[in-house]
Amino acid sequence: MTILDQPLQTRVDAYLMRLRRSLGELPPEEVSEILREIRSHILDRAAASGEMTDEKLAAILKELGQPEDIGPLYQADAMVARARSSFSPSLILRTTARWATMSIAGFVSFILGLFGYGMALGLIIAAVMKPIMPDRVGAWASNNGFTIGVQDSAVRSVDVLGWWMIPVGLIGGAMFLIGTTRFLRWMLRYASGKRLPVLRAESVN
Amino acid sequence: MAEPLDNWEAQIRKGWLEVAILATLWSGRRYGLEIIRALEERSDLIVAEGTVYPVLTRLRNDGLVDAEWEESDSGHPRKYYSLTTSGKRRTLTLAKHSNEFLAKMTALIEPLLKEIKR
Repeated sequence: MTILDQPLQTRVDAYLMRLRRSLGELPPEEVSEILREIRSHILDRAAASGEMTDEKLAAILKELGQPEDIGPLYQADAMVARARSSFSPSLILRTTARWATMSIAGFVSFILGLFGYGMALGLIIAAVMKPIMPDRVGAWASNNGFTIGVQDSAVRSVDVLGWWMIPVGLIGGAMFLIGTTRFLRWMLRYASGKRLPVLRAESVN
Repeated sequence: MAEPLDNWEAQIRKGWLEVAILATLWSGRRYGLEIIRALEERSDLIVAEGTVYPVLTRLRNDGLVDAEWEESDSGHPRKYYSLTTSGKRRTLTLAKHSNEFLAKMTALIEPLLKEIKR
């Protein structure tokens, strides 16, 4: 049985607390599993190095690495794993945003994702607002071009959809929502097949 | 010069770590620290020991390894990892690719090695 003195135990707990904080939004059962495994590692190392001193424990923790470097390694993996099979636009977009900081493909996916979800939101809002402001919301065709949404002066532009704005907005919005979600999930699957670079190289050291 | 080389080494280590971990499990199940010890003894892959555990977690999420907790004589439980059927298949595939890759790389830098010895 490995028994650490109280001050040493406190030090191990402090290390694990820092790790817990850097694990972010992982599910609680995963967090306790991770902390349990790292604690087991520390106790094994401690048992192997004979009588425990403050310096020896410090060396064990140093070998293990900074919790702030290790935590994100778990997080990025878990986040991608969940986002790949999730239908939550928020989780998918946040994961893609993280990916965007790592590669061109991630960046392009993120921009396309923003555009897709933006279109979905715009169309749905237009459909919902049409009954509230029938004279100002619509699909406007004018000399300046074509816009969907709120028009300040409806003068000289023609509302090409009329009340059709509502079904077109809802169906079009839903299609953009589903299409963008499916696209981003597909991109994340592709990316994790190629193994996301989850960590900047310099923080490994 | 030191910094770019450090970065290159870190990238290389990261890439090889998965193959190396799977390879250490080929002969049978091991717990985290045993894997780390094997890698420290037989490779230069480990800088921070803590980086091995997230890789193990990912391999488990991918279904390449199984993990189970077991009580030990030391008084605290240890988490043992073992290759699954698809993990064994993947290990062999990666070993094959690694071998081909290394053979080509060695042939490529062979002339340079003579320069260094000189």
